[in-house]
Amino acid sequence: MTDWVRVADESDIPEGEPFAAEANGEAIALYRYEGQIYAIGDICSHEHVRLSDGWLDGDRIECPLHQSCFEIRTGRVIEGGPAYLDVPCYDVKIEDGAVHVRRKG
Amino acid sequence: MTDTAQRNSTARKWPEGGVTRVPAWIYSDPDIFAREMEVFHYGKTWNFVGLDCEVAEPGSFKRSWVGERAVIVTRDLDGEIHVVENRCAHRGALLCWKNRGQAREITCPYHHWSYNLKGDLMGLPFLRGAQGKGGMPRDFDKSKNGLTRLRVARRGGTIWASYSDEVPPLEEYLGPEILMRLDRLVSRRPLRLLGYSRQIVKSNWKLYWENSRDPYHATLMHPFLSTFGILRTDGDYHSVPLKEGRHEYTYSQYDPELKNRSTEASKQIKSIRSDLEIKDKEVVTSVVDEFRDGMMGAFQVFPTVLVQQYFNCLVVRHVIPKGPGAHELSWTYFGYEGDDETINRLRLKQSNLVGPAGFVSLEDSEVLALMQPVVESCPESVQVLEMGGHGTEAQDTMMTETLIRAFYDFYRREMGL
Repeated sequence: MTDWVRVADESDIPEGEPFAAEANGEAIALYRYEGQIYAIGDICSHEHVRLSDGWLDGDRIECPLHQSCFEIRTGRVIEGGPAYLDVPCYDVKIEDGAVHVRRKG
Repeated sequence: MTDTAQRNSTARKWPEGGVTRVPAWIYSDPDIFAREMEVFHYGKTWNFVGLDCEVAEPGSFKRSWVGERAVIVTRDLDGEIHVVENRCAHRGALLCWKNRGQAREITCPYHHWSYNLKGDLMGLPFLRGAQGKGGMPRDFDKSKNGLTRLRVARRGGTIWASYSDEVPPLEEYLGPEILMRLDRLVSRRPLRLLGYSRQIVKSNWKLYWENSRDPYHATLMHPFLSTFGILRTDGDYHSVPLKEGRHEYTYSQYDPELKNRSTEASKQIKSIRSDLEIKDKEVVTSVVDEFRDGMMGAFQVFPTVLVQQYFNCLVVRHVIPKGPGAHELSWTYFGYEGDDETINRLRLKQSNLVGPAGFVSLEDSEVLALMQPVVESCPESVQVLEMGGHGTEAQDTMMTETLIRAFYDFYRREMGL
């Protein structure tokens, strides 16, 4: 995915709760954290489950299945759970009140 | 007396005659069996669970057994070996269903609780419930709900496990004689796994345990041995009980000329037939004296294994009890890293001597399976063990039951019988 994709309206994204979306057929989740919007892959790198169904604790999302934790700003896995691979991270831009994302790298 | 009181092992009385007599009820009484598991397999013993070459890579596992309990032998991502119960800490489901493999974690098929290879609980589904409902209490501590771990000891390429905190270190448990013989086979070079055979024998585990302590039957019941001159009553043979009867070793010096000699002893054994010939002589005549000592033999480490060298066939027989009336025999064949094609082929070829359908071992499981209903039908009957006298000392003959007597001397003490 190299192009920007519109995934949500900015007003859709609450603080303190994940917002599940899709970008080019990939499950992603949007997070509003300290005023900033972030987007990371929403499928746990351990088992196939949506992270956004899990537990949001500050800047980390905890998988509902086995408590693997990921940083919502980077997609980086946090040691302690069974997952050992990061989930993808997306660039985010807001244009005319719409959220657009693009896969990093 | 009620049925329960009658079956209570403390009510059992060993017959007159000490270790020269064995009562048949020890092979079928469920209370005796349960006590054996507690006192021996789950007690102050080291149980063989596998070879390190079976879990060669970090992130590999194999299933094994300690007594009747299923365990998993793992090599974690740092290369360290662990033995954990194959039992989910949640509801007790069988965790691992594969005999061997590679994994980073073990997940229970029932509720998907997930453990790392050290046995730590890594995660469990819906710890915090779903839609704000259910879930585990806040004080649930994952670190206190890992798999049950056993103590682990390693010697050369062998792996041992124990439930006991009091069992002496493995080296002390084995003693110098067994240690020397074990090291000869498993500590000089890294091991290489050659293969397995497995069988269920429908007899009490002790019948098999005695069978490999019984050189007397070998030339009689196994005609292959005497016919092709592998073992003869007139060969050099040693039967040595160790550690108060716990362990034992037997060995003979290989004599390639023995087959051609006829002596008084060989004439007495009817099964020696001169008109039979083995087509592929490599099975019994081609030997690389790889240990440079001409020795051939086996030793038992109580309560789980017989380690055996038949020419160049190296094998561990793992005896796994399955209730009072059955046991599994798991044969693991091994060689060494760097073995050349010639010796590898010999090891494989000579492995035909042992195993469930082995030229030699075939008869053992058959006779014991047919013996079990007999001992079960006559629990008060008594067996005779007087070959080689009444004692429990080492003897340099095959015509002795000293190793079985020594075992029951130990057994009665430990079981309080």
